[in-house]
Amino acid sequence: MAWLHTWSGLLLGWLMFLIFVTGSLSFFRSEINFWMRPELHRAYRAAGGAKADSARMIAHARRVLEQEAPDSPQWQISLPGPRFPALSVSWRASESSATPPGGRRGHVGRPAMKRLLLDPSTGDILKARETAGADFLFRLHFQLYGIDAITGRWIIGAGTMVMLIALISGVIVHRNIFRDFFTFRPNKGKRSWMDAHVLTSAVSLPFHFVIAFSGLLLLAGQLMWPVMHGLYPDARAFVIESRGGRARFDIEPPSGTRVPLTDFAPLFETARQRWPERPPDTIVITNPGDSRASIEIRQSYGGRLANRAAPERLFFDGAGGELLDTPKAEAPSAILAVWNALTALHMGRFATPAQRWLLFFAGICGAAMVASGLVLWRISRLGKHDEKSSGEAGEALRMPFGCRLVEVFNVAGIAGLLAAIGVYFWGCRLLPGDLALRVNWEIALFFIAWGVLLFHAALARHLSAWAGQLAFSGILFAFLPLLNGLTGGASLFRSIAAGYWQVAGFDLCALFAGALLLFAAWKVHGRAAGGLSGAERPLPQPVAGN
Amino acid sequence: MKMRNMMDFAEKRPGMNIGIRGILAVFGAYGFGVLGARAFAGGLSPPLDAAALSVMLAFILEAGAIIWVFAASTVARAAMGLAAPAALFGAWLAVAG
Repeated sequence: MAWLHTWSGLLLGWLMFLIFVTGSLSFFRSEINFWMRPELHRAYRAAGGAKADSARMIAHARRVLEQEAPDSPQWQISLPGPRFPALSVSWRASESSATPPGGRRGHVGRPAMKRLLLDPSTGDILKARETAGADFLFRLHFQLYGIDAITGRWIIGAGTMVMLIALISGVIVHRNIFRDFFTFRPNKGKRSWMDAHVLTSAVSLPFHFVIAFSGLLLLAGQLMWPVMHGLYPDARAFVIESRGGRARFDIEPPSGTRVPLTDFAPLFETARQRWPERPPDTIVITNPGDSRASIEIRQSYGGRLANRAAPERLFFDGAGGELLDTPKAEAPSAILAVWNALTALHMGRFATPAQRWLLFFAGICGAAMVASGLVLWRISRLGKHDEKSSGEAGEALRMPFGCRLVEVFNVAGIAGLLAAIGVYFWGCRLLPGDLALRVNWEIALFFIAWGVLLFHAALARHLSAWAGQLAFSGILFAFLPLLNGLTGGASLFRSIAAGYWQVAGFDLCALFAGALLLFAAWKVHGRAAGGLSGAERPLPQPVAGN
Repeated sequence: MKMRNMMDFAEKRPGMNIGIRGILAVFGAYGFGVLGARAFAGGLSPPLDAAALSVMLAFILEAGAIIWVFAASTVARAAMGLAAPAALFGAWLAVAG
């Protein structure tokens, strides 16, 4: 079992690290997307004013929609929320009404929508730069990049299954995982790494299991097609049905008679009084200006996990404003409730800010678990080698190729990946706004940086490669708040003073991550310069798990 | 017995031993999970429940099978441990559905 844990962990360890890091960041996808578009930062209004102003924001949104999309079959207004402070309006292009329901455009068959972001207090249209944003990291998390999405998902699925196996075998290997959880022996070389590995695994062990299993479920339509196919030949049908049947893109045909649309601010007020705990934030208007217009008002998320945190909705007649029959969501069966709870948990649908942070830290713990495991593998095998070769050069042992490969991948896969993400954020802010194919350049920068760092890891000595890349990523992250202030975003002083936490949170996290990485770089540097001072000293007796 | 000799041959060569277990883990365990899930839950009445339960079951069975493949003391035991229940599932599927 120890063998299985060691080798399954090594085989896809770097992939798991990538999945954990990009996945953890994806819990804050909205916030990162917002940070990466500094033009939107002025959209912030004091949170206390949000309630009083919803009528005015709705009026702004309606004015813009009437100007931009008078013939559209469907409008949508999303009010600023705690995670995204801009007012958003979107509409379905008028010709798309000709597309049959379930047409293949857009995600899960929904025809694409056009979207504009507005300043909530003035209603001005905000022109944001084109950026791949956090969505690039999000896609990387579950289907990689640059290869066919289907292939990418098979690879991610394999990585997730291996992760599950490593977890199960890890719990069997580290039988005393919960007792060892309270033991940490710093500066004791391999033993410290083992303690760190056990600590980061145990502290969020249930999360690791649930996130790996639910990750598999989210890709199940593809990964388990031999199971799914007999029941649902089209896996999308399963997804749609499990989310409550009626597909959202069904649009009733208009009657053709023009009737002015009712004022929907009072309707919104009705909905807000009905759901005081989770107020509504989205209005969908179907067939605006037609006698068959209807208005749907809903929450962003409901409060019930078993229901996939499905929002409560109210439907109104668009012409008269009367409340129509609200379709009552059926309670899911026990099996579906389990399914819904797991997948909704994975995607953080439901999470309050505190819960979101908890998910984020659990994910980071997972990344640290993988990273410490990878380092542990290398130390276990090469402790002796370092001892002999770090003294006289003449005595240097020839390092087996496989071990050197692991060393190089460890540096590039852990520190190098973090640095590449840092470079990606810098690229988002520094590439000129009118650059052609700007989005592609951002992504190219990410991969160029990563590739260069892989070369660096292969050429430099192991510990100095670690120190260099940790320091590089540390500097990149630590100076992100400064970059933010200098390139048009809300600077840290301003955002903290104004309680603008969507932006301040990103900056503070970047600062903290940068400091942590620089500290790590400093520690490694001391070790690389001072020769053998503990970290690489092999233990006299073997430690369980190797 | 020829079969026995072949198994013995593979058992004693580390590369082959691990290679066979690896193939069993990747393909055998997957097939085991699929068969088991379809046998246990494929026939459930609302197709939505059947799909959800059988997929969850399939992943759990697959993970268990992978652990088994590497935990079994010999390659032969690893293979038989997958094949025997899989044959049962297959027979059940052939009879019931």
